[in-house]
Amino acid sequence: MKSLLIKEFRLAASPLSYVFLAAAFMTLLPGYPILIGAFFICFGVFHSFQNAREANDTLYTVLLPVEKRGFVRAKYAFTCVIQLAGFVLCAALTFLRMTVFSQAGPYVGNALMNPSPVFLAFELIIFAAFNVVFVGGFFKTAYKIGFPFLRYGIATLLIIVIAEALHFFPGLKFLNTTTGERLGIQFVALGCAAVIYAAATVISCKNSQKKFEMIDL
Amino acid sequence: MKVLEIQGLMKRYPAFLLDGVSFSLDEGRIMGLIGRNGAGKTTTLKSIFNLVHPTAGEIKILGMSMPEQENEIKQQIGYAGGAVDYYRRKKLRDIVSVTRIFYPNWDEAAYRKYLNAFSLDEDKTPMQLSEGMRVKFSLTLALSHRARLLILDEPTSGLDPVSRAELLETFRFLRDGGVSILFSTHITTDLENCADDISYIKNGKLVSSMPLADFLSENAQAGNGDTLEDVMVHYEKESLYEKLAD
Repeated sequence: MKSLLIKEFRLAASPLSYVFLAAAFMTLLPGYPILIGAFFICFGVFHSFQNAREANDTLYTVLLPVEKRGFVRAKYAFTCVIQLAGFVLCAALTFLRMTVFSQAGPYVGNALMNPSPVFLAFELIIFAAFNVVFVGGFFKTAYKIGFPFLRYGIATLLIIVIAEALHFFPGLKFLNTTTGERLGIQFVALGCAAVIYAAATVISCKNSQKKFEMIDL
Repeated sequence: MKVLEIQGLMKRYPAFLLDGVSFSLDEGRIMGLIGRNGAGKTTTLKSIFNLVHPTAGEIKILGMSMPEQENEIKQQIGYAGGAVDYYRRKKLRDIVSVTRIFYPNWDEAAYRKYLNAFSLDEDKTPMQLSEGMRVKFSLTLALSHRARLLILDEPTSGLDPVSRAELLETFRFLRDGGVSILFSTHITTDLENCADDISYIKNGKLVSSMPLADFLSENAQAGNGDTLEDVMVHYEKESLYEKLAD
């Protein structure tokens, strides 16, 4: 597994996967649907899948003395490493906006979602959608990436619309707080999202392993 | 010792059936897998390497069962679908630096030896290499982990006559060192120059698998032709003239 992950980073990865981590800084944008940053972080990972496909990475890997299941696991592991790096950046910037910049001019009265633990929870849900819809979709054929990414894009759009709309519902205003109101329940939401992310990723990985085993290369 | 034993290999596609192919390969011998385009050569080789899933049949490599002992087997064999066709924009050095970590038995001295013998420049990318050099790079990777069996899918296709002659000479050198080689081709002169055995596939069925000399003498006696090319034309040729006239 370690060897396969090294191969992912040294041969299969596109530099754009690292460049698009900068999308985490969208967390600082006022008056902008900041969850789109999560979409772009995944878009960077998409480039690595595209890069690997063009480089015949699948054929190279299955000729190595590794199990096909390991190949699938390594793709998910690479995806998770990039996503978690993006998440850590977003979390750090969220902390800054909730503390140092909480009363900064551009952020006060921001009509769209403010960074908070709930925002981070939705980031994880978008990452989970990528792992299930895109990565899981890719392993149905091990070469088609267009439609899985389109489906992921649609799923992300729906998640962002729901996330941006939630705090307008009665009693849910605290979801968009800039002052850390009802932080406890927000962290519970973040914890739940983390569980969903982990479970969705593991289940998707196992399903992909089964699908990939059946593919004739 | 048998390095490869295939029994009743079957692979069913919607428009093609590889039907009960059986043959074996002894240590230190070169076997040519011959047949027309679409006869089932590539399907056979890919099945051996578990790249496609056989519908039925048994495959044993170096006494181990595929796919049950896939990892152990892949440590000791090399597969090349002709020239290297992956990571065409990465330097050979970078491809090798990753490849070697998968093989505990990687032999750096052997790698350097083949690199020099084949005049491969580690700072070039596969894209910058000719077809023949990319086949040689494939062989270098396989031989550097001391592969005892090489499975090659049409390695001489697309090569100029000099590169083909060099490659066949390499095969003979490897055979003399105890390496077994199974390679598919439809270029009959390649086989006459280096193969010890031949397995002939026609329309997904094995016509014959035996030493090349026996195959040629049997067919000469039967009046099917004196050379491999004559024999192949005898078995395969259909009257295209009549088809076109219909």
